Amino acid sequence: MNSRKDIGWYLLFTMPLLFIFTTVVLIPFIIGIGYSFVSWDGIPANPKTFVGFDNYVELFKDKRFLQSAWHTVQFTLLALIIVNVSGLLLALLVTAGLRVSNAARTMFFLPNLIGGLILGYIWQFIFTDIFKFIGEKTGLEHIFFNWLLDPKFALYAMVIVFTWQMAGYTMIIYIAGIQGIPDDLIEAAKVDGANLRQRLTKIVFPLLMPSFTVCLFLTLSGAFKIFDVNLSLTKGGPNNATEMFAMNIYNEIFAYSHYGLGQAKAIIFFLIVAILTLTQVAITKKREVQM
Amino acid sequence: MKKVKSAFGLLTATALLATMVGCGGSAGDDSSATSSPAGTEKLKKISIFQSKVEIAEPLEALVKKYKEETGNEVEVWGAAGDAYSTQLQAKLTANEGPTIFSVGTGAEAEKFKSYYYDLSNEPYVKNIAPNMALKIDGKVVGVPYGVEGFGLVYNKSLVDPKDVTNLESFTKTLEKLKAEGKNGLSLSQEAYFLIGHIINTPFALQPDPQAFIEKLNKGEVKMADTKEFQEFAKFMEAIKANTKNPMEVKYDTQMGDFATGKTAMVHQGNWSYSMLKDYGDLGFEIGMMPLPLAGNNKLAVGVASNWVINGKASADEIKAASAFLNWLFTSETGKNAIVKEFKFIPAMVNIEAADLDPLSKAVHEATKSGQTIPWANNYFPQGIIVNDLAPAAQEFFLKKDMTGEQFLQKLDAAWAKAAK
Repeated sequence: MNSRKDIGWYLLFTMPLLFIFTTVVLIPFIIGIGYSFVSWDGIPANPKTFVGFDNYVELFKDKRFLQSAWHTVQFTLLALIIVNVSGLLLALLVTAGLRVSNAARTMFFLPNLIGGLILGYIWQFIFTDIFKFIGEKTGLEHIFFNWLLDPKFALYAMVIVFTWQMAGYTMIIYIAGIQGIPDDLIEAAKVDGANLRQRLTKIVFPLLMPSFTVCLFLTLSGAFKIFDVNLSLTKGGPNNATEMFAMNIYNEIFAYSHYGLGQAKAIIFFLIVAILTLTQVAITKKREVQM
Repeated sequence: MKKVKSAFGLLTATALLATMVGCGGSAGDDSSATSSPAGTEKLKKISIFQSKVEIAEPLEALVKKYKEETGNEVEVWGAAGDAYSTQLQAKLTANEGPTIFSVGTGAEAEKFKSYYYDLSNEPYVKNIAPNMALKIDGKVVGVPYGVEGFGLVYNKSLVDPKDVTNLESFTKTLEKLKAEGKNGLSLSQEAYFLIGHIINTPFALQPDPQAFIEKLNKGEVKMADTKEFQEFAKFMEAIKANTKNPMEVKYDTQMGDFATGKTAMVHQGNWSYSMLKDYGDLGFEIGMMPLPLAGNNKLAVGVASNWVINGKASADEIKAASAFLNWLFTSETGKNAIVKEFKFIPAMVNIEAADLDPLSKAVHEATKSGQTIPWANNYFPQGIIVNDLAPAAQEFFLKKDMTGEQFLQKLDAAWAKAAK
């Protein structure tokens, strides 16, 4: 009786989600795999010709695609480190028992509530106008110039904006983790004479491992799939120096009208993201400890 | 505890169901409202999607007037600017296309050609000025918005057109203005304003621009080996050496600096007057002159956008769409709106140009006297300006030591890749 009721509940809650997931993710994904084997310009009236694996062969010869892959890797690595370090530092800061910690917590989280597109436009203004202004006023023109015009610095600019957006979010997750650590454990360590560094590395970080798993996963997949900030901040420029994976695929499909090739790129993109994030989760999961 | 949980669950489930039912209900309402014929003569509601941001508001107002005069409804889907073609494609592919939409002449028109309704027998197309109708396979499929033209928009108190007639005088003028602390000429960072328009001139000066583009696509000719392009490269070198880096200039700053007299010339079209208008009385006269490349003395004039009807729409919708276009191009209200609200230079013989702003006047006069060069960039491969030529131009303006010759080679390489 009881178990049948449970199944009823189970179905009630999972069916809508399963239905939505199937119709908006699973089925389009399968259709997408199909498109990656044809050559098509995206206009329904025009013919789709089957080309087998040609698209997949072609994309590895596409220099711009490979370049965008390299940009994405650079961006992801930088973003992964900076977002998590700053998220963790902010979390430690606001859990240290300062009087303003509640207000600070809200403020750090706020940028995450602004959409990536808008953030991109705001920062575009900061990098182009304000940076230049500061540079002219202070004479530090080798630091404060228009970052978006320099291929290297444009990438750093994207990392900064992404960090601005994501650090607050990871901070919340780290705060939850830190608050989950019992106070008596820390106090006992203090009584035993452990200093801050020891307390952090021997007690806090190991017990924070589940938070690390979640945060690293979120930033890794988020940074890899970045598109909105890319579009609004740099549009992939200057000279395609900040064109990320997702943007390259978008351009291939919509700017060049190569639906098949773009779809093949998207499939490869999916595989890379899946492999990377699964490996990361597997590695960090292994290091999680139980109290 | 258990009870609370299940009660909560029930509540959530009800809420969920309620939303689903709610959605379904409203969707049903919608469809019944559109399909029920309320009046006797009432035509089906149609939708318009078009690319020009400048006319978005006047178009909405016009549609309201249309409803007042005829009782028929037209929905305007906003204007998308840069991403127009992409959004249009997505909508059409999803079978949710608008009834009336706009396409650019040339490659864009070619791309969407399977969607057009044949307008050849509609009454209003007879009024289209000679050679201005959008034709695909010999059939008239689109009505031009109007003609537009671009060239060097200049401040009459700072520049005398007599001083800008060839490369030498052009360079001298820029140098002189630079010495006076003025920015001689300003391009801006948007793909079309950076390279797309200005590179049109060397193409348009070829004896047969379209044939030249085809040869370029096949790799039979190179820009680097063509005389007009070599001169174009020298113009670009002069611009790079003597003016503010266009990569730091946006369309609005470009026009703002021009309006406030900080910039003497901008390479722009008559559409830019809508930006200048916002500055009120400029305190100086403005004019438009040709880019004097290889002694060129003609403005580049063409049709940027055309109204087309979605042939995949239902017969009722097509009928309503055609009725709207007919109203737009023949009724007094419609004709008035085109000239006075949209500020278009009409490409129809039954519409008189009235009260043109100085830039449109220059274009209109050039058109009437035939002193024009075509918009060859309409026949460039689809998307090449934004995707391939603009990055090359960005590199040229950002790398200090890059010469015009290297720039041409970059352009050739970009072209070869895009035309594949």
